Amino acid sequence: MENLTIDETKYTPKINLNMEDGLIELKGKSYPENTFEFYKPMMDWVESYFSGCEQAKTIINFEIIYFNSSSSKLFFDFFDLIEEVVNKGKYIEINWIYDAENDSALEAGEDFKEDFEKLNFKLVEK
Amino acid sequence: MEAFENKLIGEIEELQSRFTQTTQKLIKDVRRQDKIMARSDKRQKQEYDELQKKFAEVEALQKEIEETQKEVVFTMGAIGESRSKETGNHVKRVAQYSKILALYYGMDKKEAEMLKQASPMHDIGKVAIPDAVLNKPGRFNESERKIMDTHAQLGFDMLNKSNRPLLQMATTVAYEHHEKWNGKGYPQGLKGEEIHIYGRITALADVFDALGSSRVYKKAWDDERIFKMFKEERGEHFDPKLIDIFFENLDEFLEVRDSLKDV
Repeated sequence: MENLTIDETKYTPKINLNMEDGLIELKGKSYPENTFEFYKPMMDWVESYFSGCEQAKTIINFEIIYFNSSSSKLFFDFFDLIEEVVNKGKYIEINWIYDAENDSALEAGEDFKEDFEKLNFKLVEK
Repeated sequence: MEAFENKLIGEIEELQSRFTQTTQKLIKDVRRQDKIMARSDKRQKQEYDELQKKFAEVEALQKEIEETQKEVVFTMGAIGESRSKETGNHVKRVAQYSKILALYYGMDKKEAEMLKQASPMHDIGKVAIPDAVLNKPGRFNESERKIMDTHAQLGFDMLNKSNRPLLQMATTVAYEHHEKWNGKGYPQGLKGEEIHIYGRITALADVFDALGSSRVYKKAWDDERIFKMFKEERGEHFDPKLIDIFFENLDEFLEVRDSLKDV
């Protein structure tokens, strides 16, 4: 499978999905006009990656400074998927990276961490 | 003997289990949605508060800028006045007359208000006229008159570098307030509507006020003499339309003159 990179725009984050490095990275803002359509390539990639292409250890870096509610919903769906994978015994590390001054980013990270107790979910202050 | 178990029970139990799974998932989803909504509401409120704060700041800054600009312009007008032989409330009256003329001429309120602020700068060029000429008691000789007349060009040179709308307007006023409708004014000798309306208006306002005020070297003209002269100069020195406006609304001009008398 191929790696996938999506450039950052005014409303959408930079997405970097790298199979060899076992890396899933999102960085920037998330205000897509159609959130589920925008993230579909990413979700498809992640599903394929975890159906046999994954590394022994996968790192997920989320550095989302600002996002709308449908992005929030999508991230829940994303972590659901990750949780299923973890339940199957895969090793995954999640870093929720936030700026100290960005309260809402921290709060959102806390929400995800609380909701997905089984995940190795770290809140990382920049 | 083993109890006979109805096959249906197994199926119902299966159904029950799936139903429980589904409802649990639904409950989880609904909880999440509520959470997302609560977070979103909270953030929206913060953003709204932040925006309101920023708007208020921008508004205050805008006001500050406008006030500063008004003050600068008024101060410049006062400097010009201190260098001219006009006294007391001359520039304030010229400002008011200009605004009245502008409104009746058909300018919108904003532009008329701007002209009111810009017109006091008409004589700013006098700052650069030598004291010996400027302060000479009595009438000027021809060469002194020529030097005095450069104040319009000088005012233009001082102000025309600015891009601020108010100062650009003041540039026009300073440059063209000695032009005459018949083309016999200075410095450019413009004619009729070649003279910008700001210049035509300030010319009339300035002359009306100057004639009605007394000076070291001359007495104030009485109103009859001023009105007679204005009628004669309709279409000569002054824009005929502005002269008509002046006479049609004479009361308003006289009211301003009374309220801003020199003491």
